[in-house]
Amino acid sequence: MKVAVFTFCVLAFLSCNQKSDLQDEPLKIRVPIDFPPIEFPEGNEPTKLRVLLGRKLFYDNRLSAEQNMSCGTCHVLSAAFTDGKKTNVGMGDMQLNRNSPTLANMAWSPYFMSEGGVPTLELQGLAPLHNSHEMGKDMMPAIALLNEDEELRKLSKAAYNRDSVDPFVVTRALAAFERTLVSGDSRYDRFQLGMKDQLSEQETAGMSLFFSDKTNCSSCHGGELFTDFGIYNIGLYEQYNDVGLERKTHNQEDIGKFKTPTLRNIDLTGPYMHDGSMNTLHEVIEFYNTGGKAHANKDSRIRPLNLSEEEKAQLNAFLKILTDFNFVQNPQFLPLEEQ
Amino acid sequence: MYKFAQVISIFIIALSITSCDPEKEATDVVMSPAKMTVAINTKWGADNFEMEEVYYDSYGNRFRLDNFMTYVSMLTLIREDGTEVLLKDFHLQDFKNETTLTFEVTPGVYTGIKFGLGVPDAYNMHMDPAQYPNSHPLSVGGSQGMFWTWNTGYIFSKFEGKADTTGIEGTTLLHNYSFHTGDLGSYVEFISLSENFNLQANTTTGITLNFHVDDIIGSGSEGIDLSQEFFAAGATPLGLKFVDRFVNSITVD
Repeated sequence: MKVAVFTFCVLAFLSCNQKSDLQDEPLKIRVPIDFPPIEFPEGNEPTKLRVLLGRKLFYDNRLSAEQNMSCGTCHVLSAAFTDGKKTNVGMGDMQLNRNSPTLANMAWSPYFMSEGGVPTLELQGLAPLHNSHEMGKDMMPAIALLNEDEELRKLSKAAYNRDSVDPFVVTRALAAFERTLVSGDSRYDRFQLGMKDQLSEQETAGMSLFFSDKTNCSSCHGGELFTDFGIYNIGLYEQYNDVGLERKTHNQEDIGKFKTPTLRNIDLTGPYMHDGSMNTLHEVIEFYNTGGKAHANKDSRIRPLNLSEEEKAQLNAFLKILTDFNFVQNPQFLPLEEQ
Repeated sequence: MYKFAQVISIFIIALSITSCDPEKEATDVVMSPAKMTVAINTKWGADNFEMEEVYYDSYGNRFRLDNFMTYVSMLTLIREDGTEVLLKDFHLQDFKNETTLTFEVTPGVYTGIKFGLGVPDAYNMHMDPAQYPNSHPLSVGGSQGMFWTWNTGYIFSKFEGKADTTGIEGTTLLHNYSFHTGDLGSYVEFISLSENFNLQANTTTGITLNFHVDDIIGSGSEGIDLSQEFFAAGATPLGLKFVDRFVNSITVD
């Protein structure tokens, strides 16, 4: 019933506004209490229509060359905006070489892609849209198709004062929607807010281990975002097929370095590592416990941890409490027709 | 009195109109532009180079050039007194197409021409193709894929094709080679100060910028052996070597 009422309201809102000009208004994004404020880029501050347009485009298959993929194909809400696959699958079922990253809390990321080569969320949108391995070699045919949609044209005008749906509108609107994907309501967060009954003994012990000098997990996966956004070699391989940061810097000392992912919702975002080479959190914990493989560029913090089986289980239990079920079930993040 | 003032006013206006006309005419005569055409061409020795045709490089490799594009930026004429006239800020040259750019220029004697290969740092460091109108060479559509999506920055030049490294005549060219230049240190400027363009009003003067593919590949230890050096993306040592050979391959006719 709620869905029906909301759908009616949306339809009424859109049909009403097609007659008159759509009126936009600023949108306040709710940020968890301990999170830093979001810095919005000038000209793409959040508004209701920008986010609505971005949400529509995020799930629009017309953005791919074969019109069979959208951003939401590889970034699925129930998997915290990952896809559960080892690595991305692009156009023509092409198997790509990297695991889909979560989009949770992208609003705070200082740069994007595993090498950190893309400086803004607006530019990041071009990566899959204008890439022959992902959604299409050239996004301009998709742009032409979108412009046949009168509703999108009206939204573009109202949200960005552009007469057509162009790359500016698409990149800005997608980023505006993605900045609303805020996740900070896990059991861990509630515990931090004083709800001490949220965690079991095992989870509490795991939390202590996670933030201890013994494991040093939090030196990279620290803070409210559970990432320092650093780019490190963790000794995943002795020889890397994917060179990571070296691709950008051409510096041999950067081989095998990849951006630290957030651990929020980590229980839902497997497989793990930049190449999806580990299926379970248990495997990941075992890997860190051994101290990784020998590599000249390996970060000095990666070393054998000598964890007992009980401690490994405690860490595993702690990681699972970082799941934000309100985030992955938020109907505001679904396609409009599924809300 | 009122009528007298009206007559005087009309007389003054008429005078000002008639006195303006000759001045305007004179200005038009003085400002009649010269026309200048800039053709962009590829060469192989003294001959024109043909894309997608098979050539032998000096190392004995058969090769074919399938895609060759570059940004020509800040195309500028230099006057006798050293002052500069910008003809075009950005042009994306696809060497598959015969290209002649046409400009209207103030008549005079020009002694030099210069342009950059690539995109100047000021436009490249904070690249955002989506901010340009679709027809602009730096836009998403206009750039024809000449920007990296996993990294920031434009691809300054693309030089791609296939080569045969087996040495067996008649075999298919299977070996891909690809040079994508860009990033810091990859924007280079071509300057020729020994030209003499006497551009006259209502007259068309043409020049040709020749890019010598044989000089880009070259020979010996200084050249690029496509069987050994076949991939560069960005400002790698091989990428910068390509850039150096590229800018030095240009002649002006």
